[in-house]
Amino acid sequence: MVNKLLSLNEATRTVNSGSNKVTLLDNINLQVNEGEFISLMGPSGSGKSTLLNCIGMLDSFTGGGYTFLGEPVHSMKEKNRSKLYKEYIGFVFQAYHLIDELTVWENIETPLLYKSVKSSERKGLVADMLDRFNIVGKKDLFPMQLSGGQQQLVGIARALIGKPKLILADEPTGNLNSKQSTEIMELFSDLNKEGVTIIQATHSEKNASYGSRIVNLLDGKIVEE
Amino acid sequence: MIKNYIKIAWRNLLKKKAFTVINIIGLSLGVGCFIMISMFVIDEISYDRYHEKADRIYRINSDIIFGGTEMSMAVSADPMGEVLKSDYPEVENFVRLYASQRSKLIKKGNQYINQSGVVHADSTLFKVFTLPAIIGNTRTALRDPNTVVITETAANRYFGSPQLAIGQFLETDDNDKTLYKVTSVIEDMPRNSHFKFDFFFSMANVDYDFGNFLSHNFHTYVLLKEGTDYKTFNKNFKEVINKYLLPQAAQFMEISSMDDFEASGNKLEYSLMPITDIHLHSSRGIELSANGNIQYVYIFSAAALFILLIACINFINLTTARSSGRAKEVGIRKVLGSEKKALIGQFLTESTLIAILALFVGLTFVWLSLSWFNGVSGKEMLMTSLLSPKFLVFILVLPFIVGGLAGVYPAFFLSSFQPIKVLKGKLSFGNKKNTLRNFLVVFQFATSIILIVGTIVIYKQLNHIQNSNLGFDKDQVMVVNNFGLSHETRQSLKNEIEQLTEVKSASFAGYLPVGGSSRSDTTFSTESVMTESNGFNMQYWNVDYDYLETLGMEMESGRNFSRDFGSDSLGIILNETAVKLAGFKNPIGKKLYTSDNNGNPQAHTVIGVVKNFNFASLRENVGGLCFQLGNNSWETAYRFNTSDVSGLLSTIENKYKAAAPGMPFNYQFLDEAFDNMYRQERRVGTVAMAFAILAIIIACLGLFGLATYIAEQRTKEIGIRKVLGASVTNIIRMLSKDFVKLVIVAFVIATPIAWWFMHEWLQEFAYRIDLNWMIFAVTGCVALVVALITLSFQAIKAAIANPVESLKTE
Repeated sequence: MVNKLLSLNEATRTVNSGSNKVTLLDNINLQVNEGEFISLMGPSGSGKSTLLNCIGMLDSFTGGGYTFLGEPVHSMKEKNRSKLYKEYIGFVFQAYHLIDELTVWENIETPLLYKSVKSSERKGLVADMLDRFNIVGKKDLFPMQLSGGQQQLVGIARALIGKPKLILADEPTGNLNSKQSTEIMELFSDLNKEGVTIIQATHSEKNASYGSRIVNLLDGKIVEE
Repeated sequence: MIKNYIKIAWRNLLKKKAFTVINIIGLSLGVGCFIMISMFVIDEISYDRYHEKADRIYRINSDIIFGGTEMSMAVSADPMGEVLKSDYPEVENFVRLYASQRSKLIKKGNQYINQSGVVHADSTLFKVFTLPAIIGNTRTALRDPNTVVITETAANRYFGSPQLAIGQFLETDDNDKTLYKVTSVIEDMPRNSHFKFDFFFSMANVDYDFGNFLSHNFHTYVLLKEGTDYKTFNKNFKEVINKYLLPQAAQFMEISSMDDFEASGNKLEYSLMPITDIHLHSSRGIELSANGNIQYVYIFSAAALFILLIACINFINLTTARSSGRAKEVGIRKVLGSEKKALIGQFLTESTLIAILALFVGLTFVWLSLSWFNGVSGKEMLMTSLLSPKFLVFILVLPFIVGGLAGVYPAFFLSSFQPIKVLKGKLSFGNKKNTLRNFLVVFQFATSIILIVGTIVIYKQLNHIQNSNLGFDKDQVMVVNNFGLSHETRQSLKNEIEQLTEVKSASFAGYLPVGGSSRSDTTFSTESVMTESNGFNMQYWNVDYDYLETLGMEMESGRNFSRDFGSDSLGIILNETAVKLAGFKNPIGKKLYTSDNNGNPQAHTVIGVVKNFNFASLRENVGGLCFQLGNNSWETAYRFNTSDVSGLLSTIENKYKAAAPGMPFNYQFLDEAFDNMYRQERRVGTVAMAFAILAIIIACLGLFGLATYIAEQRTKEIGIRKVLGASVTNIIRMLSKDFVKLVIVAFVIATPIAWWFMHEWLQEFAYRIDLNWMIFAVTGCVALVVALITLSFQAIKAAIANPVESLKTE
């Protein structure tokens, strides 16, 4: 039994640049089932990041339909949308985007604060996560004191802490060397096996090969699947 | 959640130390200033509220216009209180204070002490006012003649303790020697009282022609029954005037009715004033002490509020200016599921935390400067007054208000960033087109400029007063009190001292043209029978032959009193205003009339006219005045010419001590007495200067912070420009230009506002400076120069930096 996680139906995203209307995403049709590991590929400016942001509800489509877990996201109010992604989606960024003023522990804990998880429960969850990623010894360090690979580990741990169904990763290894890249991709692969759905944007064929499915984008259109 | 906010706020504060220090110093100066002024205001409005019946106690004020002379007095006629009590049931009680004597000589051991703080009071004193006794029964304390109630301080001074004082006798110089029995010792009077005495003598010992409705010499307080509206009660005074005053007045002048009296431009009015209003709303003739001024309470409050605003603006500007530093965090938090509300909460927590820190630093500033402020404002405020429940609540709430005020705009501004934009670093933080920031900087500098102009004008006006042509020469005149000396001794002492080479002239001078000196006025008429229209009131001073010379006054026409003329005892010298009041074209030889004790007219011939001199405050025009030859030898004035003033002083002191053993030697210099009249203005000047300096310091702190930040942001641009050949001067000009424009705009806005305020303030003075453009030009230059110096620190630093360094980092 395969559950449908999300589906895009003729989804479009346009922006106004001066008097011109620029189409960033053009009639995207995409079905994503739970447990998939999708790699979005394509050259710079092809719309990978925009698509990820729109799926992640940080941005919204300007046309077409977007259904997430059976709910019509395109007709939802901002507040419900934010509730939805807080609950089900985790983000991983190329530049990690950790909060510099918070320690590793506190960075991982932050999403739980916004979900109003109790303090005792938070402690357990964060400790488990640190343990799992083997970064217990680094819990009191600040992001600046970590290597890029370690920072991205923290970033992934933070994305996972809320037990999301979907992880959106925008060039997660873009700032890492090849050894670190491999580690991160293997981690994604493991997570996927545990049942987490992953959509990543990447330039690298090698990284894309970890996924179960590749979607190629060019000028805002899906050109090949 | 809140713990997380505080944690991250704290780390941010530590990370951006310069920013934190600027914000905290600025805010703490603002908060400190605000707390100090709040203490001042609360102290000012607390006056006389310590009386249990404060809401029912009223003073009778008198307003009289007669013959062109206007008098607003805090005193009324002696039978007034009694009449009100017997005729109107609303009046529960009344008490009179008779304070004509400013001091008495009181014997302690073999020495006489010139004791101030003395007054005669009715025995109802304690039924109206709340003056708790330490020992003795105040209900009966002042009922009998020759009784006195003293405060604890007085008891300690003269007897050692209240217990030792009770039942003992005080010897005073009343009628040469009068003994008063101490019947009760009361607690010292609170500081915040519009009158403060240490000795309350029995009213029965006052040597006065009681029952006179036409002489106003008693401070009378009435206690109204609960629920009485004093404004309604005021209407009763018309009836009192018709029933009691008119019959008495008719005995010595032709007066038919009050309507006729008023028709000739005269006025006679009595009114009640709530005791709690006296300190801030009363500046009448013959007050029991120098009162405060509600105007200055308003001005100080406004200035303190503005300084707090300026400090809040620094926070707003610096926080929004360096928002790019926080933008990424905002983006991440939003991605992690934070709602805008939560972010606003976080930033408000931060600003409140800064405000709390600023509160502690601000309280330290208050603590450090309190004694200075007390000196300036003439108060005795203590830090412990901050511990009263009301104040404590105020202080606890203050950082939240300040934190909210300073933090709300930055909070909304920062929390509205779109996460995908800031995370991609797409958000451009326009530094040149920030209208709000420009507006706020203009506001800060405009306020500072207004305060600076205010300070300059106040100081120039004070200077003007000190150097204006007073019509007499206040410098190098010493006035010595002739306690305990017979008139013959006074005369011989005067002659003896006049022989000293340093002394130019000497005169018996009971009346002096400075505040705090004796005054006496009488009604004159141009015809032998006085009517409503030919009478006028003016000052009537007894002086001797040498008075005009000693005080450096000049004759306008006619002649001075002279020992060569036998008939001078009936001659008078008028001032120029008196000539106008009398309506004389050629005053010399004209006659004016007064009435003697029996109501018979007495003629005085004008022998000369003295040029107008200021004998009241320079706030007023010179009133009418007339000299007659007499022997008022209470004090002797000596005009001297020496550089060794202290030497001369000790010579004179020795002569006095030898002539009157055991008597205190009291003297004052005329110029110092004169300066004392303008103490309040000088205080306001000092406080205004402190405000102006604070305002400009805080505004410049903000400017410094902004410049630092902007120079930092434009490091790369500056590097490129230098590589392309820009000189250091070019760069400095580029960085300072925008801010200089803002200061100029602030100047343009501030000038008319400052002009209007100071113009209004100057209207209080009859003798005032002109507001010329120089004052504004100087202020503008000062503001500009201070701003430029502040900016140049950062601009020069940025401009001389090696471009290779700044470009390499990219």
